[in-house]
This record gives sequence, structure tokens and C-alpha cells, in this order.
Amino acid sequence: MKLICVVKFVPDVDNFRYDFENNKLIREDMRLILNPDDACAVAFALKVKEKLAGTVVEVVTMAPKKIVPHMEDLLRLGVDKGVILSDKAFAGSDTYVTSKVLSRYLLGQHYDCIITGTHAVDGDTAHVPAQLGEWLGLNQMSGITKVDMEKFNKAFAYVDVDNDQTSATYEVSLPAVLSLTREIGYKLPYVRKGEINRDVKSSIYILGGEDLGLHEDQTGLKGSLTQVVETYAKQYEKRERTLVKADNDGVETVFHYLHEKGFI
Amino acid sequence: MLNTDMILKTLADMLLPDQININEDELYDAAADRYKKYAKAKKVLDVPSPIAIVYPKNTEQVSKLLMFCNEHGINVIPRGGKTATEGGLENWKENTIVIDALNLNEIIKIDTYNAQATVQAGVALQNLEDELRKVGFTTGHSPQSKPVAKYGGLVSTRSIGQFSTLYGGIEDMVVGLECVFPDGHIARIKNVSRRAGGPDIRHIAIGNEGSLCFITEVTIKIFRYYPENNKFYGYLVKDVDTGIKILREVIVNGFKPSVSRIYSEEDAAQHFYHFYENKCVLVFMAEGPKGIVQATGEAIEEAVAKFGDGVVKQVDGQLIADWFNHLNWSQKDIDDEIEGMIENDSHAGFTTEISADWETIPKIYHNVIERVRNEFSRAHDITMLGGHSSHSYINGTNMYFVYNYDIHCAPEDEMIIYHHPIQKIIVEETLKAGGSMCHHHGIGKYRSEWTLMEHGTAYYMLEKLKQAFDPKGIMNYGTIFPQEEGINKYIK
Repeated sequence: MKLICVVKFVPDVDNFRYDFENNKLIREDMRLILNPDDACAVAFALKVKEKLAGTVVEVVTMAPKKIVPHMEDLLRLGVDKGVILSDKAFAGSDTYVTSKVLSRYLLGQHYDCIITGTHAVDGDTAHVPAQLGEWLGLNQMSGITKVDMEKFNKAFAYVDVDNDQTSATYEVSLPAVLSLTREIGYKLPYVRKGEINRDVKSSIYILGGEDLGLHEDQTGLKGSLTQVVETYAKQYEKRERTLVKADNDGVETVFHYLHEKGFI
Repeated sequence: MLNTDMILKTLADMLLPDQININEDELYDAAADRYKKYAKAKKVLDVPSPIAIVYPKNTEQVSKLLMFCNEHGINVIPRGGKTATEGGLENWKENTIVIDALNLNEIIKIDTYNAQATVQAGVALQNLEDELRKVGFTTGHSPQSKPVAKYGGLVSTRSIGQFSTLYGGIEDMVVGLECVFPDGHIARIKNVSRRAGGPDIRHIAIGNEGSLCFITEVTIKIFRYYPENNKFYGYLVKDVDTGIKILREVIVNGFKPSVSRIYSEEDAAQHFYHFYENKCVLVFMAEGPKGIVQATGEAIEEAVAKFGDGVVKQVDGQLIADWFNHLNWSQKDIDDEIEGMIENDSHAGFTTEISADWETIPKIYHNVIERVRNEFSRAHDITMLGGHSSHSYINGTNMYFVYNYDIHCAPEDEMIIYHHPIQKIIVEETLKAGGSMCHHHGIGKYRSEWTLMEHGTAYYMLEKLKQAFDPKGIMNYGTIFPQEEGINKYIK
């Protein structure tokens, strides 16, 4: 069985710096991390590999080359192959182009199932998995909170999808694009000390636009259907902090604050 | 060699049942200190648990326990408030007894006329501080661990507090002490204001980290407390170098603010996120009699003005006061931290503190930051790397490197994969530049591989002390004095 996980590396939104004078994010030292839903997708694939002998797991991403160390970590966890689609011309791609680039690679591959996350913590459009399904002519299911591991095989997957009111179980014919949420609970395993520096470079493949037969005009800002009219930075207000003691005055202050804000 | 049952039977003959603890969970907890807090919380410690934790009620019982252990080659770990961070309380031996100062908890005397107080080793710093405040005095000692740290541990690790620039480190406060050596000898160093009676033998016990003796009683200086005079100063500055220059200017000109700190912008983001504006933060606090506070404040303002080109702006001193009032961590904070580590694959960052002269500290700081960013194989997992200088002296200051990282390995491997390689870079750069690799956390076990390099030819003196006072090597195996077997097993 071959599983391809399509993942995204996103800015570490818990650790960013903001330039208050110029109202912009400081991007120079911005770290990238594996998107949490996508980490669940890879963790699920590795769990399948653990249960079903002969399973091969590949991870594909469109990302700058600086994510190589992160991809190496995934390979050390048991991923068999890492593919990074990276080209300066890809910069500024919208979800349409991103899914086009990814599907251009995937069209040439053999697989039994494509696993992705549902949401990304940076943009959160959740378009790409559905668009991949469209490009590849596959069924796609988002918001998966459970996959029946016992029944998971090359032909079918049984998945639970929760929404506000209901929880439904679907039988999905494979190959398909299954998009998991982090509620599914799979966690990437740990790397042990002996493995942490294992050389896995030979299992990483970096492909550019030319390798995929894509012209510069078809990718990046030029190829994107979504044209940005204007961007502006969200104003991060510097909030005043009030410290109170655990006494009557403090309780009174907190009570008035909560009352004023409508919480009580 | 005695087996576990025989050791426990002998302990039962020496002590009451409630003085011997063989609870499995508490023995597991006693197997390591805060160095391996994450692995401990995840229940994957790779070191043996001690056989028992014992709680002597007086110095004589400590003496008998040590004699027993010395006779039978049983490793002893002396323990106070359990806040060690460098493996000083970690156990590397199968046959180990932890001697805990829990029952040595009496404040023996508060003597305001002679400005000194005598306490047993198990007295919590906060308890003494609370008693002193009632009579208008303070210990002047305020490490972040103040609510839980105990005097035996503070003295044996050469602790330092947040107000050290004025009051000094614990070594400047200890007047006299009582300690017990492995052969059972009880030594009392008398309390005098000063003497020239040969080498200052207090320093054999101060900072021994339980590797030479067990400290049972301490007499420390106490200071008149003037909280109504406290003044706080805060500034945003362009870089660490400017901050260090200002610190130096104040100190070298002869002033002693109780707090004098410069935070790198990365570290400032953790503490002063609500006003730091991506700048370094310079902090001062002046305390003491009104006239001294006023003079110190003026000196701070003059120093800031002298290096005005590197100063962005002054911030409201109340922001600094508020921050200081919430800096210490209590037992509840520690318990919450453990819960957080169990739930998440992460923990609050680690630190390595070093010291050097004024000229050298900025060089070490920049060399370390550059090397960690460029050489550390897990640099892509680092979420924060910075530091602050927080304790200054006439000839130099310290640097407290602080780092956070995402953990992508098994909990039991975390320290070796993440913390230790970063600490190695810091230690290498510091020793290369002539600084000290351990400003106030002690050597513990995890810096023992560099003890020889730290002391150079003077290691001879340390080694002789160990040979003289602990010839059988029963005191806290692996702490301060490098033990190749333990280092190979647990560090390399």
C-alpha cells in the first residue's frame, strides 16, 4: 500500500515578532513548522505502515528549501520518501496554483490514498485538499475525525466526519484524498537518540517548476487566479495591564471588568 | 556490600518509621532534579531510584547516618528544597540514600542587634523572610525559588538572589555554619564579623553541593528593610552591548542598585511583551535608606544619559515594579509546570548562566548566539534564543543564556539532544574567553565534565579536599567531581 501525505509548513504563529513602528510582521527570523493537522496526517500514515507490512509512506510539500531539516526529521520517523516542490517562481502562489503544482507532481505517481490535513493554521482557507481532488479526479473528504484503522485497505476507508450538529460515518472508495483534523489524535512518534542524526538526504527529492513542466507564468503571482488588491497588517494593540491583589478591591475590579465586557 | 534489605533494616534501627520514606513515587521523584524535569514528568527517567529518603531530626542523627553510609560505601545525596537544576540531586548509583533536611526546620535565633539570624538547614527561605519582615528586616536573598528553596540547599549550591548586586550572593551573607563530614565529624564554624584565622574555611562547605559534607545549620547576615524607598527604572535600549555599558557605568562608579539587568530583545519578549517593542530592556531597582536610593537613582540616570545614543526611551517604573512582584515561582507553579509537561510535548526553556569581566561578557554573548544558530544541529527547532545579565560586580557581570525549543525526540533523550549541545557551546565559548561556566546554578553532574577546565591548575586544591574529607567517595557521586563511568553512561 502506498500513502502520499501532502503537507504544508506554516509560520510558527506562537513565536513571531511584530514591528509596531511599521505595522508588519518581522519575517527574517520567522520559523516554519509542520502544520498541526498535517502532522496528524503523517502520524496516521505511519501508524498504517506500522500495522500493514509493506506500506510505503511518502510526504510531499510545496515549500522553500529551508524546510529540508524538517523533512529529514519526518524521514527519521519512518517516512520513506520526501519530496519538496520548490522554486522561486512558486512564491506568491494562491491555492489554485498550489494545488496545480502539487497535482502536477501527483499525476505522475502511483498511490492508494492521499492523506492531508484539513486546516492550515496560517491561511485556513482549506481549499487545497479539495482542489487536489478536482485536479486528480478523486473523491475528497475534509474534517475527518476518525479513520477505522481495522477496515482501512486499498479499496475503502471508513471515516467519521463531525460537524456542528452531527457525526457521520462515510465509506470512501480509494484512491481518494482524505483530509484529517487534529482531533483525530494521532501524534508523530519520537525520534530516539541513535536516529536523530541519521543521514536521510538520499531520500529527499527537490523538484522545481521545470521538472514539473510548469512555465514561470503558470505559477506564483502571475499564475494565480486570486489577485490581491491590497494587504494591510492587523493592528496589534498594546494593551494596558492592570494587576490586582487577591483582596476585596481586586475582586471588585475584576467583577466590574467582566460586567463591563458583558461576561456576567 | 549491604543489600537493600540490610540497609533499610539498619536505618530502621537508627530512626523512627516516619523518618524513613520508601514510597515508590517519592523515590522516583528523588532520582532526579529539575535538570530532567521533562523526562521525569513523562515517567521515563533513566537513572536508578534511591533506596530511601531519610529525615534526620538533629545533627547527631545526620552524623550517625553519614558514618553508617561511609562504613558501607553507600552513596549519599544531601537534599534541601529540591530546586537544583544541574543534576546535583540526580542519582547515579544503585545504593543511594537521600538525606533530606525536612525535619531540620527550626529558626534558631533572629538577632536584629547583631544583624544576623541562625537557622537549621531545612528552613525555607520564605519562612525566614516572613519572620524577618515582622521586625523590619530582610534576608536580602531572593532567588526565583524563594518560596520553596531551603537554607541548606542555598548555601551548599552557592545560591544567588535577584537583589545580589546590593546584598551579594549567599557566600557574602553566611557568617558561620555547622556541617557534618562522612566520618561523622561535626564541624561548627563560629559566627564572627571577620577574622584572619587562616583560610576562610566557610568556603569548604559553601558551594560543596553535597559532595564533601552535609550542612545542618547556617548563620546569615540580615538587613534592615526599607520597602517604602524602593525605586524602579526601566529603559528600552538598542542592544545588549549598550545595556552592559550602562550597567558597568553604574557599578564601577561605586553604586549598588539591588537589581541591575539587561535583557536581549528575545528574552525581553518573554518578560516584557506588553512594552518591550522589540528592543532590549534595561532594568534597575534602587533600595535601602532614602539618601542612598536617591543617590543611586541619580547615578542610574546619569549613566543612561551618558549612553543616550543607544537608549530608545524610558518606560514607566511601575511596569518594572509589577513585573518584579510576580517573578518568583511557588510550589503551585512547579506543580502546574509538571502537569503541563505531561499534557504537552514541551516545557518552558532551559538556561545556562556564566560570568566574566565587563570587557569579555559581550564577546561571549555574541559568539554563543552565532555558534548556536550556525552549529547546533537542531537549530531549526529553536523557538527562542537570547539572554540577560542579572548580577553585576565591580569587575564584571553574568550572562544568563535562555533558550526554548520544540522537542522532536523521545523525552528521555531531550537533554542530550537539545540542552546539552547548546550548553556545551556556551561553556566552550566562556572557558575559551576566561570566564566561569557556572555563575550560580552550580556544577551539578551535567557540567562535571568541564570541572577541570573550569579550575585549571587550581583543581588540585579541590581534588585534595575531596580526598581529605570524603576519601571513600560516598558524597553525591558524580557531582562537581567528574566520574567517567557516570558521564559515559548518562551524558555521552
